[in-house]
Amino acid sequence: MLTLSSISKSFPGVKALDQVHLDVRAGEIHALVGENGAGKSTLTKTIAGVYQPDEGQIEYDGEIVHWTSPGEAKSAGIHVIYQEFVLFPHLSVAENIFLGHERRGAFGLIDYPQTDRDARELLQRLGVEIDPNDRVSELTVADQQMVEIAKALVHKVKLLILDEPTAVISGHEVELLFKRLRALKEDGVAIIYISHRLEEIFEICDRVTVMKDGHYVDSKNVADIDRDQLISLMVGRDMSELFPPRVGEAKFGDVVLRTNNLSVNGRVTNASIELRAGEITALAGMVGAGRTELALGIFGGLPMSSGSVEIDGETFTEMKPALAIKKGLGLVTEDRKGQGLAMQLDVAANITASDLDAVAKYGLINTIRELQIARDEIREYQIACRGPRNPVATMSGGNQQKVIVARWARTCSKVLILDEPTRGVDVGAKVEIYRIMRELAAKGIAILMISSELPEVVGMSDRVIVMREGVVTGELSKDQLSEEAIMQLATRHEAA
Amino acid sequence: MTALAIRSFNFATKSRSGLLVVIALLVLLFFFGALISDRFRSVSNLLNVFEQSTGLALVSLGQTLTVLTGGIDLSVGSMISLLSVLMSGTIDGEAARVLPVCIGILVLGAAIGSLNGLTVIWLRVHPLIVTLGMGALLQGVTLLYTLGPAGSVPFEFDYVAYGRLLGLPVGAVFTIALFILVALFLRYVPFGRAIYAVGDDEIGARLMGLPRKRVLVFVYAFSGICCALTAIYLVGRFGVGNVYTGQNYTLASITPVVVGGTMLTGGRGGVIGTLFGVYLISLLNNLLNFMDISSHYQLIVQGLIIILAVSVYVEKKRAV
Repeated sequence: MLTLSSISKSFPGVKALDQVHLDVRAGEIHALVGENGAGKSTLTKTIAGVYQPDEGQIEYDGEIVHWTSPGEAKSAGIHVIYQEFVLFPHLSVAENIFLGHERRGAFGLIDYPQTDRDARELLQRLGVEIDPNDRVSELTVADQQMVEIAKALVHKVKLLILDEPTAVISGHEVELLFKRLRALKEDGVAIIYISHRLEEIFEICDRVTVMKDGHYVDSKNVADIDRDQLISLMVGRDMSELFPPRVGEAKFGDVVLRTNNLSVNGRVTNASIELRAGEITALAGMVGAGRTELALGIFGGLPMSSGSVEIDGETFTEMKPALAIKKGLGLVTEDRKGQGLAMQLDVAANITASDLDAVAKYGLINTIRELQIARDEIREYQIACRGPRNPVATMSGGNQQKVIVARWARTCSKVLILDEPTRGVDVGAKVEIYRIMRELAAKGIAILMISSELPEVVGMSDRVIVMREGVVTGELSKDQLSEEAIMQLATRHEAA
Repeated sequence: MTALAIRSFNFATKSRSGLLVVIALLVLLFFFGALISDRFRSVSNLLNVFEQSTGLALVSLGQTLTVLTGGIDLSVGSMISLLSVLMSGTIDGEAARVLPVCIGILVLGAAIGSLNGLTVIWLRVHPLIVTLGMGALLQGVTLLYTLGPAGSVPFEFDYVAYGRLLGLPVGAVFTIALFILVALFLRYVPFGRAIYAVGDDEIGARLMGLPRKRVLVFVYAFSGICCALTAIYLVGRFGVGNVYTGQNYTLASITPVVVGGTMLTGGRGGVIGTLFGVYLISLLNNLLNFMDISSHYQLIVQGLIIILAVSVYVEKKRAV
């Protein structure tokens, strides 16, 4: 179906792909794995005609092809669902689905009733209830993903590429997605599946190709290998090394933050939690359980509708982010591009952004001092970049995340909240982030980690608070901790 | 039934609630004007406003499309000036030359506009800068060609402005027809959809394989054609082209677009909103004249309207 031989692609300063091979057959789900920066996205974009390879050849459907634009690959039946969806928020669902392939009536004009009918039928086939007339910006992320898949169906897709499709959805939605993918596979569609979640690869993929640093490592039948072997192919590192051990004995201090019946309008109801100095507490639950909203409520990003937050014995019934920062709180948001980093600014500016007083003199920024601080932090957190003046936009997700953590670690003295800190981050960078969390905890900072990845919750936390539908449903101490116990508290199942 | 009608009406124009706001303002303004002045509400005055709005409407039509793609055309004023002097200069009173020269002016407008679009693509410079530069360049060319009014057109040519069709001004009726045509084009022709998509998410449009480059060239070329139409109308109205005829249109053309609910960031809005925006501005200026308020205040009122209008359309996001 698709065979890539010895593909190389360079960008100024980096060789993104170096002699990469890939062979995908019709009717199979082929996993493409590797750390961030391994070249998966570049490879994807090369297949999709966004980039043209410098060397090597692409054979598709029995022919050697030289695509010069995404349009050519698309009309050949290749559809890519990028991590950041290609949806037009101001257009309706139906308009998005048929964009570029409009349903036409007389004189080649757009036939709206037909568009509406066909969109309804497609969405029904996917088993989702979405109104084709809704604007895409009004949909949930999971529904937006379904619209992306509906688009693929319109285009008579032969090769479907999904880049981290489950990074943004959870639970039932993932099952629904897998069901759809299996059905497409039955229809003979070839699927390339990119994911950091190895469980998923074992669940739905037939074969896997591993990439590292722009090189091809190996291709295997999924049935022939196990999880640990796959990880060692990816990083050459053992699974047991993933979660670094605690530095010294567990020594928790006083409660530094407490919420008393905190509610956030419609999303969180009467949540009472405690965070202790030096302790890593995980906040687990499904996407939409109200975890992010609780964190924002504590930090002042969302208004509290009732209840209060107590920081170091001081009670607040109203909170603003500026005040939270002053009281020693830090928040690493889930969406690092939208809410965390100034993407066009460099590493130094981003690191010092929340602590400009430290680099300012007479109200002016002392750039020498700024660079000094940035260099120290780059060394401390092992941030891979060309230097303090490297714009963060060009860095990998893991390193961007380290920049944010470095920034908050500078100002936050009591509580650091991390919302999905390792989402979309490769295994190597994950280990780094875990190590940093351990170190901060050892310094006496209370850490609240929101995470949907159960192995991470079990591996990292000293205590777990579970939420479901806006309510805290339980708390598990280190010795009660297991993935099953968390799932029971997180799903409706146990509530009866 | 009314709700359904409103819904489909809004859907048709792509501006949803925006359009209703302009229409409501227009009605409000009319009744307010009618209360304070008898002459204001007279049919001859309204026809006069209708006729005078033609120039602004034509430029704003082209401007709407560039703004829909997330761009802007700041060369329209200079382009109108240049085209108008070239037109009356070459016709120079000869009736036989009117038709060929008008066609030539339209082609030239399209060519200059295409150049804007191609420059945006080739140099990857923001349209704001490209068209600002083009505007200065064209004004320079105009002044090289002549320093004052050039040539003339036959007297009868004022038909394009003052002529009547079923009692209505010809130019203004033609303009409405053109607006409706473009509105239908945007809604029913797939290429029109691509214009919205490019403005909504330019990179996404490229990844989708939509004809991004063709869209950009098209909207600037169309804006150029609209400038040529404006020039033809203005020459008809004044009987001669002048070097600064178009000057005020650059900024003026953006007001109705914004007031009509088209987002400056692109991807949302439509031409029908712009048309009502044009009528709102024209009627307002007319009313201020009747109230004997100096044109200096008219500028102030216009400025306030732009800012207020945009604040109405801003998507109310949750403040963090």
